Amino acid sequence: MLSTPTDPSIGVLEGIKEVINESGAKVIDVIVHATTLGTNAFLGQAGLELPKVALITTEGFRDVLEIGRQRRAELYNPFITKPKPLIPRRLRFTVAERISHEGKELKPLSKDELKKIAETLRDEGVKSVAIVFLHSYVNPEHERMAEELVGEELPNAYVVPSYKVDPEYREFERVSTTVVNAVLMPLLSKYFSKLNSLLKNLRLGRPELLIMKSDGGFSTSTEAGKVPAATIESGPAAGVIAASRVAKELGIMRALSFDMGGTTAKVSTILEGRPEVTKEFEVGGKVHKGRLIRGSGYVIRYPHIDLVEVSAGGGTIAWVDEAGHLRVGPYSAGSEPGPASYGRGGKDPTVTDANLLLGRLGDSLAGGEIVLSKDLAVQAFRKKVCSSSGLSLEEASYGTLTLANAEMARAIRIATVEKGYDPRDFALIAFGGAGPMHACDLAAELGLKKVIIPLAPGVFSALGLLLADYRHEFKASVLKPLSKVVPEDLEGIFKSMESKARRVLRDEGVPDERIFMLRYADMRYVKQSHELVVEAPKPFGEEGINYLREAFTRKHEEVYGYFMSDEAILVNARVSAFGEVIKPSFRKEVLKESFKSPPDLIKAFRRTYFRDSGWVRTAVYCRSSLRPGHEVEGPAVIEEYDSTTVVPPGWVLRVDGFSNLIIERI
Amino acid sequence: MVDKVTSEVIRRGLEYAAEEMGIKLRNAAYSPNIKERMDHSCAIFDSSGSNLAQAEHIPLHLGSMGWGVKKTLNYLVKESIKLSEDDVVIVNYPYISGTHLNDVLTVAPVYFRNKLIAYTASKAHYVDVGGKVPGSISGDATELHEEGLVIPPTKVVEAGSLRKEVLDLILRNVRSPEVIKGDLMAQVAACDVGSKRVKELAIKYGVAVLEEAFKEIIDYSEALTKASLLNLPDFSVEAEDYLEDIAGGEAVIHVKVIKANDSVRIDFTGSSPQVPAPVNAPYGVTLASSTFAIKAVTDPQLPVNEGFYRRVSVEAPEGSIVNATYPAPVGASIETAQRIVDTVYLALSKAIPEKVPAASCGSMNNVLIGGGNSDGGGSTWAFYETIACGYGGRKGLDGVDAIHCNMTNTMNTPIEVIEAELPLQVIRYELRPSSGGAGEWRGGMGVIRSFKLLTNKAKLTVIGERVKRRPWGLEGGLPGMPAKYYVVKALTNEVIQLGSKATVTLEEGDEVVIETAGGGGYGDPFRRDTERVLQDYLDGLITAEEAMKYYGVVIKGNEAFRRT
Repeated sequence: MLSTPTDPSIGVLEGIKEVINESGAKVIDVIVHATTLGTNAFLGQAGLELPKVALITTEGFRDVLEIGRQRRAELYNPFITKPKPLIPRRLRFTVAERISHEGKELKPLSKDELKKIAETLRDEGVKSVAIVFLHSYVNPEHERMAEELVGEELPNAYVVPSYKVDPEYREFERVSTTVVNAVLMPLLSKYFSKLNSLLKNLRLGRPELLIMKSDGGFSTSTEAGKVPAATIESGPAAGVIAASRVAKELGIMRALSFDMGGTTAKVSTILEGRPEVTKEFEVGGKVHKGRLIRGSGYVIRYPHIDLVEVSAGGGTIAWVDEAGHLRVGPYSAGSEPGPASYGRGGKDPTVTDANLLLGRLGDSLAGGEIVLSKDLAVQAFRKKVCSSSGLSLEEASYGTLTLANAEMARAIRIATVEKGYDPRDFALIAFGGAGPMHACDLAAELGLKKVIIPLAPGVFSALGLLLADYRHEFKASVLKPLSKVVPEDLEGIFKSMESKARRVLRDEGVPDERIFMLRYADMRYVKQSHELVVEAPKPFGEEGINYLREAFTRKHEEVYGYFMSDEAILVNARVSAFGEVIKPSFRKEVLKESFKSPPDLIKAFRRTYFRDSGWVRTAVYCRSSLRPGHEVEGPAVIEEYDSTTVVPPGWVLRVDGFSNLIIERI
Repeated sequence: MVDKVTSEVIRRGLEYAAEEMGIKLRNAAYSPNIKERMDHSCAIFDSSGSNLAQAEHIPLHLGSMGWGVKKTLNYLVKESIKLSEDDVVIVNYPYISGTHLNDVLTVAPVYFRNKLIAYTASKAHYVDVGGKVPGSISGDATELHEEGLVIPPTKVVEAGSLRKEVLDLILRNVRSPEVIKGDLMAQVAACDVGSKRVKELAIKYGVAVLEEAFKEIIDYSEALTKASLLNLPDFSVEAEDYLEDIAGGEAVIHVKVIKANDSVRIDFTGSSPQVPAPVNAPYGVTLASSTFAIKAVTDPQLPVNEGFYRRVSVEAPEGSIVNATYPAPVGASIETAQRIVDTVYLALSKAIPEKVPAASCGSMNNVLIGGGNSDGGGSTWAFYETIACGYGGRKGLDGVDAIHCNMTNTMNTPIEVIEAELPLQVIRYELRPSSGGAGEWRGGMGVIRSFKLLTNKAKLTVIGERVKRRPWGLEGGLPGMPAKYYVVKALTNEVIQLGSKATVTLEEGDEVVIETAGGGGYGDPFRRDTERVLQDYLDGLITAEEAMKYYGVVIKGNEAFRRT
């Protein structure tokens, strides 16, 4: 199916119709959708023009959006550039008004100025208007007034005030988040509602259109349309959701979702079956040599699944630098021309080529659709690596693997160690075309003891779309020292967020018994700026204050190694609300006590290279022939349509009741 | 011998450890200058004090830290101060640590099974270290002791416990002691985490392999530096640039840059002698700033460690403004740092103009405000920040608007944080139109930022540059607009122009206005694309008159024509 960037709903609808024709379905209940439309628009995809958007902000602060945090993204590069502001200066307007940090009105909003601006905007044909005033997170009154007035003057434009989409302090991050929303509304919100109505017209029941969000939850297309910036990273989130489900099903408390495809590897942590979520990310950043430069994109202050992405995939290129050192990445041969061994004109040796030369990959992929040429892989390594580095073919290909693994190990370290977790406590859930091939080596490198390869690893991510829950985040800015927090007031704040959450979830059709909520408090010492998150008690009574103080002190000591006797401040009260969705269940076979080696299932033997043992005669199996209860001792290679699993010596693989491959150290 | 793969893994591991140190330091810190602006840096050193790896923080800190750590270790040996496990040393004496007193350096040894294997270090700009003005950097200090508390290398943590008497001594000598305490604890936490990561590497690879890898990492960087220097032609070039408003005159920085084969020699002979004003640079500042310019024109991605410095030597005559000696004051040497980069770039432009930007604004535009609370509560406050400006035009690219250039890269303090934590109101924060120098590739625009004092008295210090001498253009580009600093008095509406270095008293309601310089232009303005001229006009960054005067472009409505 070709995509149709100018009106993506056409392509999507055609795809749905095709599925219906093939399956003969008469009624559709739910359609879950993840889209890269937003990301592509920021990356400048042809046919996706960013709409004309304007900003109205406090007098004196026209350029906050453009100045950003005044920092350059690369320290030593004299040819640095800044991201082009999403709204050009000529469409950034200021109006007299001022609210203090305590929420007091210092200067009334000038309605006359506002009216004049609205007229200009109408003449300019602006599609969407962001409104951001200083300190609106404490007192949104001026934004609310401006929203109303601009809405009246421009009935056909989207009006996006910051208090509705990101009510938190730090003006640059708030204006940036609001503007990204305003930019996406004419694209995404419009697209969501169009797709929704087209679906309703199919006469196949009344399908509910659900949109995946960057935090791994989903919401109805109507809710998602109000905060389109929250859906922008929905693709990669799906894989993590699928991995979370596996972790939950298997009762694994700490798991890593490890998704390795053609150009990158993505890692996220899953605690007690839930993916970890962070507060801020950047979209449309500049990529230098394949690596995203922080500070080069547009900041969105929304929770998203905490993904660490590194340039290490099957197509990542091995090369030799001027000092004669072997390097891997960040360049990638992608899918076109692809690895040298694909024979599609790729001249550079890649990680896939190294895997082929080391006997990890067989001679063909995708059930024989892609035939791999060892000769081409050898040529590429000889020419581009061996000659200039003095490494042998074996050293070069194994070195390539090791460096790619080191890069991925770095991603795992960032995902775990930075938050104070020991990677050795985690099980690795590996998927994506290349994930299962590298999983055990990576586990060995970091001291992980268990690796899990789910069914159909190559398309596992898509499964995540069927496994998500409704999810909504609510936050209220409190900004009070703990000693000044009145427990009843805070309970009131939590309760009002919870009832709002319940309302939204009920509107989305979630029954009460499947609504779950968690309370959190963002806390720090008064003089700090970066909060730590602790769970807040429910209900919040007199003892709640002490509970928070102690929880925060413990957490501070855990993270920084010390605590202070200073006053702590409660910055935000937050509620995470989930509407659990009934999901397809995995079929589970009951296993007998002991696992058995499968008799006569070995498809072939081939020589495969491993770190400690060198070249070893290795048994090759077809995954489809392995049944629950089977056990295979490494060295072994398991081949299936969309992936290849490598079990090194010293590891044993067992097929569990869900047909997952569970690989552990002997 | 350690294989190349292992040493690459270890190199990355060390860089990562330095990054993680920086995150810890920022997240735990108390002063807006660190927690919001990230005016701090972290790095890891081998057991002889050679720089192994650093995170991308502040160039001035990073480039001077290697020198500072070595000097600190030498001092400890000379004074027979023995370090042992879980000690943390603190130092801010500029002639040892490398930069001004506000930059507090911590150095902590990393021991593994009773053997010293490495050091971790962090440098953070404290908002106040005492001295004659809030924020400690004054425009008129004539000797070091006017600039605050001088701390020679001293153990602040011994065998894992904080030395309370040392901490108290420091806190008694600074404004905002509670903030300084928070920052100091954060620095200790950063050293701890760096040390933990190095030890993990030692467990994994063994000390012997690790130490070999350290050596290899330095050799590797040297090899890369050589290779990228060989890509440049050989040259010997000279240039001069000036610092203004110094004891009634100007000081000159003279540089000669000689590139031959795979090494570079930078010689500052001919620069002014040190002066009784705070612009004197300790050698660390000169080293950091001149090598910064070299790195920028060779390979900006080059991993910086000791290996890089083996190929680049910097000579500066002792007792000069670029290698000052005690008791010369050094508070404003951050400005000298910017001018050193300008001077080296100007010299390089004579050999490789396509690789060098026109002058950026040439200042960090330091603003310090603070005072004692008049209510007699006994507390004092201090605010410090540096303000972005215009970047110079480059061949093929306009200069960047409103960005920190060269030796600094701190963030701004969010307005909503300033107003919540300090008796200040921010009145304006915008680009400064018309400030970028005209050129085929124009200079970046500076910034206008202004503050109003909400309490009844405070001291303001401004430390800047380029109020008189404009940032130069290159290849026919015009200079940027000079900086302008002034105070608008609340009572009289009188405008008081400040020089580039000034300390004045503010009264309630007074407004401090900082207009930072624009970058110089690159190339003949008459060759600028007409469409670009029009876009700047439509965005209100230049006027129609300027389009005509500098670019020969006539603007009518939404259209532009080149006058033929």
